[in-house]
Amino acid sequence: MGALSIRNITKTFGETQILKGINIDIDAGQFLILVGPSGCGKSTLMNIIAGLEGPSSGEVHIGDRLVNHVAPKDRDIAMVFQSYALYPTMNVRQNIAFGLETRKVPKAEQDETIARVAKMLQIDHLLKRKPGELSGGQRQRVAMGRALARNPKLFLFDEPLSNLDAKLRVEMRAEIKQLHQRLKTTVVYVTHDQIEAMTLGDRIAVMKDGVIQQFGSPQEIYDSPANQFVAGFIGSPSMNFIPVHVAEREGEIGVVLQGDGDARFWPLPDKLQLRERLGQALTLGLRPEQFDLVSAADGLSCKVCITEPTGPDTMLFSQINGKDIIARVHPRHAPQAGESCHLQPDLRKAVLFDPATEARVA
Amino acid sequence: MIEQNRFWRIVVYGSLLIAAVYYLLPLYVMFTTSLKGMEEIRNGNLLSLPLDISLAAWQKAWSSACTGVDCSGLQPYFWNSVLMVVPAVAISTALGAINGYVLSKWQFRGSEIVFGMILFGVFIPFQVLLLPMAQTLGLFGMASSIPGLVFVHVVCGLASTTLFFRNYYVGIPDELIKAARLDGAGFWRIFLRIILPMSTPILTVTVIWQFTQIWNDFLFGVVFSGLDSRPITVGLNNLANTTTSVKEYNVDMAAALIAALPTIIVYVLAGKYFVRGLTAGAVKG
Ligand SMILES: Nc1ncnc2c1ncn2[C@@H]1O[C@H](COP(=O)(O)OP(=O)(O)OP(=O)(O)O)[C@@H](O)[C@H]1O
Ligand SMILES: [Mg+2]
Repeated sequence: MGALSIRNITKTFGETQILKGINIDIDAGQFLILVGPSGCGKSTLMNIIAGLEGPSSGEVHIGDRLVNHVAPKDRDIAMVFQSYALYPTMNVRQNIAFGLETRKVPKAEQDETIARVAKMLQIDHLLKRKPGELSGGQRQRVAMGRALARNPKLFLFDEPLSNLDAKLRVEMRAEIKQLHQRLKTTVVYVTHDQIEAMTLGDRIAVMKDGVIQQFGSPQEIYDSPANQFVAGFIGSPSMNFIPVHVAEREGEIGVVLQGDGDARFWPLPDKLQLRERLGQALTLGLRPEQFDLVSAADGLSCKVCITEPTGPDTMLFSQINGKDIIARVHPRHAPQAGESCHLQPDLRKAVLFDPATEARVA
Repeated sequence: MIEQNRFWRIVVYGSLLIAAVYYLLPLYVMFTTSLKGMEEIRNGNLLSLPLDISLAAWQKAWSSACTGVDCSGLQPYFWNSVLMVVPAVAISTALGAINGYVLSKWQFRGSEIVFGMILFGVFIPFQVLLLPMAQTLGLFGMASSIPGLVFVHVVCGLASTTLFFRNYYVGIPDELIKAARLDGAGFWRIFLRIILPMSTPILTVTVIWQFTQIWNDFLFGVVFSGLDSRPITVGLNNLANTTTSVKEYNVDMAAALIAALPTIIVYVLAGKYFVRGLTAGAVKG
């Protein structure tokens, strides 16, 4: 049974079309991530799911119910906003209770719910404080608490962590994941942080300019991006895009790569079936971890411009075919900036794009 | 360096002091004169302190000075003004708050145009309204009465109060309204439970603004009031213009102070919030 089904949603503000036919289906209990650059329409889509804005066309189903004409409060959803949207003149308890009061939940049950939620999120000691007297992380918890008090069928989170500092973000990310595993409620989660997208989601929808570029599991999206935008957006540091020509040597199809030394031919896997594209200019996509440091005989000589040690790995900034690239290598063998080294690209997982349309060709 | 700093500071404080004296001097003269007897005023210096403090002039201005043929002081006018100001301020502020709430948080097709028209109302000179307003009041059977004056002040104050509240509410994040809607609250519940409690600064500004405007109004008061609904500004005018054998400066001054007192008190009590509210609105856009 589908928990949320979005069918052909479009939204137009004035003259501009913000959403251009969105289709998403997820099952009960799944964690859907909506990810995309700023302004691509994520919040607009969330508002449409919540019923705070109407779509220009298309249908929203929650559970088995068409909810296009159901008021937000009757959709059985709860939402956490990017700015938390806590009521500033009410204390934490009143913030959580407001929705319960409006829904005429009996007083005893209200108290019980508030106690349960406060305990779950460890905000018991904050109940008497106003939002202005809380830290960012505490406010975030209260906003979650307000949503949890409702026990809805669907949670909507609109960039709930984007206002927190890096450390708190990692902590809260883990907590949200745990909470989801415990409650098993369906979640739609907006972010433009691709690490959040990868770590939290069962399903990721990558959006750009009001169009879903790809919809799939995190691993699918990482390993086999549908186009150059998705490939570049997901993954950090982002995928390297190297201009190449499809060539043939001794019956094998491959590409010629050149660092600061001699150009060298590298065969591509046969399964890519590139024979008919012989001679064409394409963009080769290689993730930073698809390079290995090797001896002179096996590798492509590259000059290192900068190194960025991150601890477990060191990032080497270099150039291949005149394009800046990043290689992720083990710090023990990492060369110094200014030195040359030998990199061996692992082309088994290589992806290729059409440089004009940015569509995936292999 | 430091020497120069001190020099400039003296210049700045000196000019502020001069400005303050310049503005306070009339008040001082009015106040001291109102406490003097006529004898002393005639013989004494305008700036000298009263030798013999007496409240007789205040007494007379309040309850027995002549305003035309009638000689019962400013008292009836004062109460007329109170009866006019309280409902007029309350209604125009309440309506302004609701208008501002709708125009900022429940926008509808054409709401920007409505707001533009209301904004236009701020700049209309009130003299232009006198004739049509008189006809309207006649039509409603409210001519020459306190309810009529209340109506006029509400209508004319609405443009400013709406503008104040709308600009303040624009600064309140829309997500707050969305959250409340998801919590099941409707138009009025959101307004009363969430928006209104956040409005203290702008409420104070609006109430002070409207109170001062309406209390000090003379034009509408003189045009639209009847014999028994004249506000204090008209009373003061009549009192000062009533020709008696001698001009009683002390009574005139006491009367003027009585007329000005409520606005002064409001400023002293709420002035702090007035400035705070103005800047809060400005910062939030
Ligand atoms: N009420 C509105 N009227 C006109 N345009 C709007 C309105 N709301 C949003 N937009 C436009 O729609 C586009 C998408 O906005 P949206 O808030 O959905 O982006 P987003 O993906 O959530 O971005 P972010 O990551 O910055 O939150 C933006 O270009 C925005 O300017
Ligand atoms: Mg957004």
